Amino acid sequence: MFKMTHLSKAFRTEIVETFALRDFSIDVKEGEFVAVTGPSGSGKTTFLNIAGLLETPTGGRYELDGQDVSHLSDRARSRIRNEKIGFIFQAFNLIPDLNVFDNVDVPLRYRGLKASERKLRITDALERVGLSARMKHYPAELSGGQQQRVAIARALAGRPRLLLADEPTGNLDTQMARAVMELIEDVHRDGATIVMVTHDPELAARTQRNVHIVDGQVVDIDAAEPRFTAVAGG
Amino acid sequence: MEIQPILKSLRRQKTAALLIAFEIALACAIICNTLFVISERMDRMHIDSGVAESELVRIRSSTLDDAAERSVRTAEDLAALQTVAGVVEVAAVQQVPFGNSSWNSGLSVERGAPPVTGATNYFDSGNLVSTLGLRLTAGRDFRPDEYIEFDALFRADVEVVGSAIITQALADKLWPDEPALGKFFYTDQDPIRVIGIVDTLIRPSFRAVADAPMSVIYPVRNTPGLQYLMRVRPPADLDAVLKQAETALREVHSGRLISRAETFESMREHFFRGDRVMAMLLSGVIVALLVVTALGIVGLASFWVQGRRRQIGIRRALGATRGSILRYFQLENFLIVTAGVVTGMFAAYGVNAWLMQHYELSRLPMYYLPIGAIGLWVLGQLSVLSPALRAMRVPPALATKA
Repeated sequence: MFKMTHLSKAFRTEIVETFALRDFSIDVKEGEFVAVTGPSGSGKTTFLNIAGLLETPTGGRYELDGQDVSHLSDRARSRIRNEKIGFIFQAFNLIPDLNVFDNVDVPLRYRGLKASERKLRITDALERVGLSARMKHYPAELSGGQQQRVAIARALAGRPRLLLADEPTGNLDTQMARAVMELIEDVHRDGATIVMVTHDPELAARTQRNVHIVDGQVVDIDAAEPRFTAVAGG
Repeated sequence: MEIQPILKSLRRQKTAALLIAFEIALACAIICNTLFVISERMDRMHIDSGVAESELVRIRSSTLDDAAERSVRTAEDLAALQTVAGVVEVAAVQQVPFGNSSWNSGLSVERGAPPVTGATNYFDSGNLVSTLGLRLTAGRDFRPDEYIEFDALFRADVEVVGSAIITQALADKLWPDEPALGKFFYTDQDPIRVIGIVDTLIRPSFRAVADAPMSVIYPVRNTPGLQYLMRVRPPADLDAVLKQAETALREVHSGRLISRAETFESMREHFFRGDRVMAMLLSGVIVALLVVTALGIVGLASFWVQGRRRQIGIRRALGATRGSILRYFQLENFLIVTAGVVTGMFAAYGVNAWLMQHYELSRLPMYYLPIGAIGLWVLGQLSVLSPALRAMRVPPALATKA
């Protein structure tokens, strides 16, 4: 699905250069479910940002579907994000001024789909997360778990091949976290590749492979199945 | 197009959006009417007087002569003025364009009928058409035998003035569908025949441009309060001509009082001073309104961009290009401005109706509304550009920041 080779990400100021990722290499196969763990500030989110084309690396190579996407134009990166990648954020990141239906509609509009097609996808996605009765509700009228399910529906409606989840259960209680995790596993069973950043070892254990990041480098790989590979430090 | 989601989003922040829309509506209503007032003032200032302004000067002098003395004095004065270097034509008349004092009558096309229109009366003591540089488009100038003395107008035993030269605008007003030359009109019981038509000649003072060229020239000599007109050969020094003319007049009669000696260009300048000041003041009002409106839009858009940075980041993460974000804010501004402009158009007519009632303003022409609307749309788009460009630069990675 995607491969990062000797990737680095540096943040420069006038007096210091800080590496969020350094000599970072990983290979995630199509259909794989990977958990990314590591202490705070280890580079997990930077890795996720680069994987989701939200940031560009300062060095190395990033291939997505065999295409080098390290230095694409903003427009091309936006298109790939919109068509291939779905995001689930810890803070849900719904747009507070839009109701549930319109929130799920946001990425579909950027894709330029017809209204009828969008409506079909939105109702399907919301039914799948069990929120079809809440289409007209605004985020502030939903619980945290419901908001995260809307975020999952928003990701599902785009039918992404790669789903990136940043602490998807971090703001939820145990029961809601379990429900959200089950949804993500459902999405994985449908064939999507999933990379999930988490602090929760229990959730990490439910994935196929754990990648541990410390100081911007992969230091440990626990592959549940031999067909997945990841290479630390190249 | 994201019109529907933007409208839904605006409904959630309607106070700020309504305030800006109201400000735009107010600006639209005031700007449309102000532009119209300025335009009317400009039309007044640029009106064609019909006279050769750049070649004309006038002198007004007063004596204590009686009617008989006045007649002799006028002839002597005109002869003296004719000798001034550079002067090619001289005439005496009781009123002049840009002179403020105006003699007026109501004109009918049938005896005893109500007046069709009012018109100003120029009393030509001789050679007025030529001296003013008026352009005769039909008919002829007065013959010497057509002139009568002013005092005879009030005597029952003398035939009243029987001929007149009128302006084309007056001819069209009196006889819209037929030629005016040779027709008769009435100011009282006696018919007056149109023997000539001049292109235009404005009233000494006027409010509406449409009423300005309603003028009649009668062949009447020796009117009280005569003033002298001199037409000079270009490029004569008009001020020098005026000085020599004053000297010439004092040589004829040293005891006279010369109250006015000025060029027509300075008379025009003085006559329209109020219009010019008003146009400048109103232009200032428009600029101030546009600046305040623009600042309001910039302020609100900047506030919204700042408050929605995370939302913008989320949109970018979900696939919005920079252009999509720029268009989002431009479209949002367009919708707010449109709401303001539509309301402002109705308000413009309301303000206009009030001005018509209280300040004799004409009805606002329809084409001022699209002009105002386009102006405000352009202003809105320019004002929102800077905040929208800032929004466009919000990085998508902001979506994952805690």
